[in-house]
Amino acid sequence: MTDIVETIVNCDGVSVFYGENRAINNISIDIGKQSITAFIGPSGCGKSTFLRTINRMNDTIEGCRIEGRVTVDGQDIYDASVDVVPLRAKVGMVFQKPNPFPKTIYENVAYGPRIHGLARNKSQLDDIVEKALTGAGLWAEVRDRLQDSGTSLSGGQQQRLCIARTIAVEPQIILMDEPCSALDPIATSKIEALMSELSNEYTIIIVTHSMQQAARVSQKTAYFHLGNLIEYGDTKEIFVRPKDPQTEAYISGKIG
Amino acid sequence: MLTIISVSVIFLGLLFYVVGTTKITRICDAAGIRPHSLFMYHGSFPAILAVAPPLVLLSLWVVADDIVFNMMLEARFPEGLEVEGRQTILILLAQIRNIAEGIIVGQPDDWIIGLADTLSNWRNTSDTIIAGITVGLSVICGLFGISRVKPEFRARNAVEALLLTGLGICSLIAIITTIGIVFSVIFESIRFFKLVPPLEFLTGTVWNPEFEGAARAGSGQEGMSAYGSIPLFVGTFLISIIALSVSVPVGLFSAIYLSEYASKRVRGTVKPLLEILAGVPTVVYGFFAALSVAPFFRETGGMFGLDVASESALAAGFVMGIMIIPFVSSLSDDVISAVPQSLRDAAFGLGSTKSEAIKKVVLPAALPGIVASIILAVSRAVGETMIVVMAAGLAANLSLNPLDAVTTVTAQIVTILVGDQEFESAKTLSAFALALTLIFITLVLNFFALQIVKKYREQYD
Ligand SMILES: Nc1ncnc2c1ncn2[C@@H]1O[C@H](COP(=O)(O)OP(=O)(O)OP(=O)(O)O)[C@@H](O)[C@H]1O
Ligand SMILES: [Mg+2]
Repeated sequence: MTDIVETIVNCDGVSVFYGENRAINNISIDIGKQSITAFIGPSGCGKSTFLRTINRMNDTIEGCRIEGRVTVDGQDIYDASVDVVPLRAKVGMVFQKPNPFPKTIYENVAYGPRIHGLARNKSQLDDIVEKALTGAGLWAEVRDRLQDSGTSLSGGQQQRLCIARTIAVEPQIILMDEPCSALDPIATSKIEALMSELSNEYTIIIVTHSMQQAARVSQKTAYFHLGNLIEYGDTKEIFVRPKDPQTEAYISGKIG
Repeated sequence: MLTIISVSVIFLGLLFYVVGTTKITRICDAAGIRPHSLFMYHGSFPAILAVAPPLVLLSLWVVADDIVFNMMLEARFPEGLEVEGRQTILILLAQIRNIAEGIIVGQPDDWIIGLADTLSNWRNTSDTIIAGITVGLSVICGLFGISRVKPEFRARNAVEALLLTGLGICSLIAIITTIGIVFSVIFESIRFFKLVPPLEFLTGTVWNPEFEGAARAGSGQEGMSAYGSIPLFVGTFLISIIALSVSVPVGLFSAIYLSEYASKRVRGTVKPLLEILAGVPTVVYGFFAALSVAPFFRETGGMFGLDVASESALAAGFVMGIMIIPFVSSLSDDVISAVPQSLRDAAFGLGSTKSEAIKKVVLPAALPGIVASIILAVSRAVGETMIVVMAAGLAANLSLNPLDAVTTVTAQIVTILVGDQEFESAKTLSAFALALTLIFITLVLNFFALQIVKKYREQYD
């Protein structure tokens, strides 16, 4: 899948400010449905900031301000009438450091469905939890210890638990901010395999520092530099024939 | 005299420091090597040795010499002197001490003046002796330290070990003092329970220690004094509950507001303001309770046809609750702020509203600390005395009605021990029994609270 079949996220002239500092500079980008898009770029170039505009997690940061238009599924998410609660259920997020709640594995996954009222009774909730854990490739490992604390799992398991927790609310889009940077190669490859599988059903946007990871899992890649979107296109194209000299410099290891 | 001795010992310490560093520098320069430890440590080692032991000895002496002198003086009291009980002896001894210091009241007996002279002589001698011993000890220890100073001597580790010993001794002092207090309370309580059966103390519902002597001596007035402690503990319980039901919600909610909702600027001003509440002396709260709050409650109650005592548990408990707010809010605020931001992010990322994130993620994670702050509040409430004395009255009514006047254990201890008292009487000793029971109850409370925390603790890292 190289061409965008159907756009799900559309950003138009987006700028983000922290106080007076401009972290993102007038970025416009279309992101396709049920695909994996990778954001790459040197540290501090604004990848995380831009990612967080898509589920309005920047709202939680004091002094952060955004200009421009972001639409998800055709809806302007910064419109005054938009409620962030259903938005964040629709656009889930997995963080860099695994951050399971200090609750049981079961409660971790059940948290989202509970607050959104997705289950009518205990057995429905059980089903959702099992399905999410299966989807995150964790079910076999934890089925006998659902009542153990989520923090008692290994780092890679914790990250998959966080993915399970995210998909338990059935989002359309999953934002992942360097989800493998705290993991070893084996756990990383498990998560990469999981991403490919999930992309049949979900739209995934992943921030990564690993060129190989971007090349392995994504269909589209966007290269950021100092708050600007330098180049955006098919992953194969970008890695083989980058159009922009800056992109080339970064990919061949001269920047960053 | 004491100051001169201490100063000279410290001066010796500095001297030994210089000597130590000089010695090690010389040796090393001559041999062209580096010592095992920094020069500083080679100086500190003899310096600490020269200062610490003599100062410890000096402070022991200061505590001990009066005791020794008293014993020696007592042995010299004239034959055939009539003394009734310890009390008289203590008064005589105090008189002698005063005269030795030049405070003469009235016309003391000749033998007393004689003994006072002897005492001043002893004191002078003892001062000279202790000065000699401390300075001597300082020099000996310091010289010993200097003799150890060699390039290969592990001065750094030795200094480290000395510091460790010092710290250990300090914590030991704290522990020993506590144990000492507990044991003295236990022994005095045992004496009390010889006069009043424990069962009466623990289950009696009337507290009336006033008619001492008459009652216990079998003079036909038995039954007039009574040592049933239940009204006091019920009073303590009642007032503490009122205080907690004010301070826990207010404190906890303001902690949540401060840590989760307030902007940095608001937090920066409100938090110190709240903490000022903790710095107001309890006497001030006491008269606030007695003069403003209690009458207010009485009048308001009167408007609704309620009969509120002019000194009521409600007034005291309410004001006590206000006093405790900062203990709850400050500590809770700290533990809530310590919950990692990543957990909040996770909750928001899943679409929680702010209050859901707080209720379901932040507060459970902060629970152990919050419980700890509540335990602190409980012990403050149980131990608070002044407000109760001033606002709740001293009447030991057995009542759970917050509008009645009640009294608490601590307030009773104060009334028992204020003013003249015979040390041997059941009335005085009852204070110890009350204290013992109070200590026991607080221990049990703490124990259960800790168990609860352990059970519900959510471990994050
Ligand atoms: N909470 C914040 N407050 C103020 N400035 C911020 C904040 N977060 C990020 N910034 C600034 O915004 C710019 C972009 O930061 P961002 O975290 O988006 O970079 P990034 O590309 O994700 O970097 P990395 O790869 O290191 O994670 C940086 O200059 C950073 O200093
Ligand atoms: Mg980042």
